[in-house]
Amino acid sequence: MTDALTVDNVTKRYDTVTAVDHLSFRVPQGSIFGLLGPNGAGKTTTLRMIMRILVPDEGSILIMGQPLTDRSQHLAGYLPEERGLYPRMTVRSVLVFLGALKGLSEAEAERRARAWLERFQLGEWSEKKVIDLSKGMQQKVQFIAAVLHEPSLLILDEPFTGLDPVNTVAVKDIMLELRARGTTVILSTHRMEQVEMMCDAICLINAGRSVLQGELRAIKQAYGKNTLRIEYSGDDGFLNQSTLIQSVNRYGGMVEARLRPGADPQEILKAAVGKGARITRFELVEPPLNDIFIEKVSEGSGHAAADRKGRRFVGLPD
Amino acid sequence: MRKVWLVLKREYGTRVRTKGFVIGTLALPVLVVALLAFSVFMAERTASQPVKLAILDEAGGLAQAVAAGLNQKLPNGQPAFRIVDVLEGPVGAEAEQGLSTKVQQGELDAYILLPPDAVQSGRAEFRAGTAGDFSMLHDVTAAVNSALIARRLRDRGIHLEDLRNVVRGAEVKLVKVSKEGVAEEKGQTFVIAMAVPMILYTTLLIYGVITMRSVLEEKTTRTVEVLVSSIRPSQLLAGKILGVAAVGFTQYLIWMGCAGLVAGYGRAMAVVVRPGVSLPSLHLPLSLLVYTVIFFLGGYFLYSALYAAVGAAVSSESDAQQMQWPVTLPLVLSVVMFVYVLREPNTTPVVILSEIPFFAPILMLVRIAAHRPPFWQIGLSIGLLAVTTMGVVRLAARIYRVGLLMYGKRPSLAEVIRWFRYA
Repeated sequence: MTDALTVDNVTKRYDTVTAVDHLSFRVPQGSIFGLLGPNGAGKTTTLRMIMRILVPDEGSILIMGQPLTDRSQHLAGYLPEERGLYPRMTVRSVLVFLGALKGLSEAEAERRARAWLERFQLGEWSEKKVIDLSKGMQQKVQFIAAVLHEPSLLILDEPFTGLDPVNTVAVKDIMLELRARGTTVILSTHRMEQVEMMCDAICLINAGRSVLQGELRAIKQAYGKNTLRIEYSGDDGFLNQSTLIQSVNRYGGMVEARLRPGADPQEILKAAVGKGARITRFELVEPPLNDIFIEKVSEGSGHAAADRKGRRFVGLPD
Repeated sequence: MRKVWLVLKREYGTRVRTKGFVIGTLALPVLVVALLAFSVFMAERTASQPVKLAILDEAGGLAQAVAAGLNQKLPNGQPAFRIVDVLEGPVGAEAEQGLSTKVQQGELDAYILLPPDAVQSGRAEFRAGTAGDFSMLHDVTAAVNSALIARRLRDRGIHLEDLRNVVRGAEVKLVKVSKEGVAEEKGQTFVIAMAVPMILYTTLLIYGVITMRSVLEEKTTRTVEVLVSSIRPSQLLAGKILGVAAVGFTQYLIWMGCAGLVAGYGRAMAVVVRPGVSLPSLHLPLSLLVYTVIFFLGGYFLYSALYAAVGAAVSSESDAQQMQWPVTLPLVLSVVMFVYVLREPNTTPVVILSEIPFFAPILMLVRIAAHRPPFWQIGLSIGLLAVTTMGVVRLAARIYRVGLLMYGKRPSLAEVIRWFRYA
């Protein structure tokens, strides 16, 4: 099956900065793909190029095997990082307008908008002005705008911003449902726990270049089970074992300890019990994506991300 | 194309339904009708009743002449003054008091007191119940004046009538010569030649700024990013400019409709309700209205493209205020040059100025209203305007494409020029 998205050696320069540098990755159809990276890495630029808001200086992008044209914009749905809706229009008319721009008839857009609003429990807000909604509600409306025209490719840039846990789960469930129906989802986010839960494959970019990509399972397995997850109460002195432990992340009553290569976890267990700590969980796991992210990004940090933001301009294609 | 239409519809729909539009559109006709009604009412009011007057002529021999001089008529045909009583010769303080009492009691409105030495000193008094009416004083002064002068002349053996024939002034009427014929000019052309271009100036400014704000709003609310993921920037810009133009056009249509109604029915009604009242005839030729619409559309597309570029270049309302002055400047200059053009519509510098596309909408319209220029001059200005507008729109579109996703400090003019080259 053709890939939903092929990014092939894409480069994009702003006036003085190379925002995206010979980036390549593939997204199989019907998967959830995570595009990750620190601030200023080039994620938003990449997503904008996929949506044909910007045009690459070099390289090519294919959606469903076809080069990008105006029509490609209809194939994809976009949820940008910054929430953007007309504040003084009603929820219903904004959705109908945006849906019509994506090629729907106004009647059809209206029908679907109503259904989606019900689904998100926003039915009674349909005639209210956007500005009257809370941030979380606006985010949901923005999400609806992205999926209204049933795109085959859905691009979500930080979709969980402003959502409380209940709404986060709601959006997550809908994303999984869309995937089950064959939609391909590209997710760009900083929330690694979401990525871990949902993504089939990822691409981690830094300073415009890909530093890690592939199936999430495979990546984590490549690291092996080298992290101990320990829940305990009492003295944590047993963690001061620099010969066995490389680094420690503390989370209150829980600790993730990265083992040195070759270290035996049983030694740590013995030390913990010996010091009188009460252990409620002791688990050997793959490293959390968060740690992998930090590790990979720190490796290459010659270029400060801050340099890459700031005054640079680029013209939208016409 | 459908997308341009969708954007146009949205711009039009959201603006036409606001209170601002309704009020703004109604404001002008309501103002005009109010002014007309007011002037009719005022004419009515000052023409109610004749003033009841008495003349106390202590000098003697003047009363008749004064009474003859008070022969003004009210707009409704009645005499302005009615001489109720004349007392000649030296009378006592009693008679004077008697007249004063009558004034206080309302039997008389006023009386004229001519003292014994009136002919030599020229002094007299107009004793009235209400102190406010100076136009009455003016008429009375004129009557007393001519009576005194006639008496002094007679004393020297000269007849007033002979003297009048000698010193009679000329009465030069202003008559406007135009294609539609020769019509007496009571100042209405001047009024129209001022009012219509001012309306044009105001609407160009207002709609230009509306376009700028619309562009800016989409930037500040970040709506622009969602939009350009579904539509090309040029389509967005086109839909926006056309949509706001449609709003302005609608407003002009409503105004023209009202003007037609007032001109047609208003006069008829005024004549029926208050017979004898004369309204100034408003000579609004259809061609003037047509040209107004043409220059509005041409000027609007020119200026709104520039305003849109300003909106795309900045990221905040305050920056927009500062950056808009180079665009507003030619409009303001047009208004400054207004009066000069009105006075000398056909001198060479004025002809040249009215051909310059940035000034043409207002200055050419002033010339058309005041003294219709030859058609080739009008046609040339429209042509130049069209060509310049197309160029400016392309330039603005480039700046629009670069500025749309740019946020941050207000760009300098030099930087904006770089954008234009870059795009």
